[in-house]
Amino acid sequence: MDEVNTAANTNHVPSSNFAKEVEAMPGGADIAKCIQCGMCTASCMVASTTDKYRPRKLIQMILLGLREEVLSSDLPWLCMTCRMCEERCQENVNLAEIFHAVREIAAREGYIPPAFKNAIDVVLKDGWMLEDAYSDFIEDDRDDLGLDTDLSWNKKFVAKLKKKYFKGVFIK
Amino acid sequence: MKEFALYAGCTTPVRLPAYEASVTKVLEKFGVKLIPMKDVNCCGAQYIESVSYNAFAAMSGRILALAESMGRDILAICGACSGSLKIVKHELDNNEKLRAEVNSLLEDEGLKYTGTVEVKHLLQVFREDIGYDAIKAAIVKPYNGVRLAAHYGCHVLRPPDIVHVDDPENPTIIDRIVEIAGGVAVDYTGKTRCCGGPMLGIDEEVAGKIGTDKIDNIRAANVDGIITACGFCDIQLTQVQFGNEAEGKERIPVLQLTQYLGVALGIDAEVLGISLNKISPAHILATQ
Ligand code: SF4
Ligand code: SF4
Ligand code: SF4
Repeated sequence: MDEVNTAANTNHVPSSNFAKEVEAMPGGADIAKCIQCGMCTASCMVASTTDKYRPRKLIQMILLGLREEVLSSDLPWLCMTCRMCEERCQENVNLAEIFHAVREIAAREGYIPPAFKNAIDVVLKDGWMLEDAYSDFIEDDRDDLGLDTDLSWNKKFVAKLKKKYFKGVFIK
Repeated sequence: MKEFALYAGCTTPVRLPAYEASVTKVLEKFGVKLIPMKDVNCCGAQYIESVSYNAFAAMSGRILALAESMGRDILAICGACSGSLKIVKHELDNNEKLRAEVNSLLEDEGLKYTGTVEVKHLLQVFREDIGYDAIKAAIVKPYNGVRLAAHYGCHVLRPPDIVHVDDPENPTIIDRIVEIAGGVAVDYTGKTRCCGGPMLGIDEEVAGKIGTDKIDNIRAANVDGIITACGFCDIQLTQVQFGNEAEGKERIPVLQLTQYLGVALGIDAEVLGISLNKISPAHILATQ
């Protein structure tokens, strides 16, 4: 993840095959509508909290075809998908979905932040997120509140999905 | 009696069981019965959603199909789950190819998605199924002027054309219920901004800063408490007040909407799990 390719060793395609690749993904269709006004960055809490993330700039990098730089960076994963920017964007660009599409491409090529990879491994093994966190102590709380202590999560279905969608890709 | 299939999600049952209990008890008061869903899987929000659109559709799709087999609409109480289920429902209703693929995965379990169930977030049930008049009529222990800030939750409100919960720029459901129960709904800067919760997986420091910024804005409005309608938000807004950045500052109690309302309906605080809240809301309850 940390290795970011520089402009020097990457061949940029101005018409951007990368933008077309994203456009063809589910959720990616609207990227070409962006007019680079910057309203998304202005409304983004992540951008106002850290210098490392600017949604307008990330869209621009995709439009320009900076494929390797985008896919090998943390940038597409820094969106909280809060959709505040989408609420404000006058061109109806759905940034959160575009960034999901980019993540899917990145993941296929092996770029996936460790925290995401771990969470995905857990979900595909247990069927849900918090099996390890569900302690006897919490079971007692549930019991006291009159709630069922048997959460009965289904594990079989995720095993099936793992085989179908994640085989040999990036989840071992 | 109206009945819903309750999809409680991953987070709430483990990290915030009081929310699940208070939702159940409060809705019961209004004649809404919840049937907890069994044999479900995670909705796929955020993590699976990030890496496989089809696997995400299958995970939420299976939950929708299970509700169909129960013949009940779904109630979701966390923003992330209600958002996922609604988005996937929208996709499956409009994308035949995806629907066929999901159904092929469900076939051997005897499940099928046909699109007959609705997904509602808790706030919709209050507004659409119960109604403000009925809530008003049921208040027996009103609060007296307690000042409260509503936090709605991004995925509860957005994208508005799919989730259909409230006005995304100026939401009012929580605020109205706060006032009906005798509290004062207080506006604050950045009311519809994110709590920072989804950032926890990738950058904890930034997540903490975003949450702290939210708390600081709320504090500036001089409130007695925060009211939430998303388990994930509730946990994040509580957690950030125990972090380094919050040192030396007085903590603002976070109450789930159903805990706040439940007390005004005359339900015992213990039944609503209020003693499990990490920041004691005693001074809010004392205004009754
Ligand atoms: S607000 Fe919309 S049009 Fe403007 S830069 Fe962002 S994505 Fe592009
Ligand atoms: S959806 Fe992503 S880019 Fe848009 S405002 Fe939220 S965090 Fe920023
Ligand atoms: S406010 Fe935060 S935790 Fe709640 S739904 Fe939105 S992103 Fe998720």
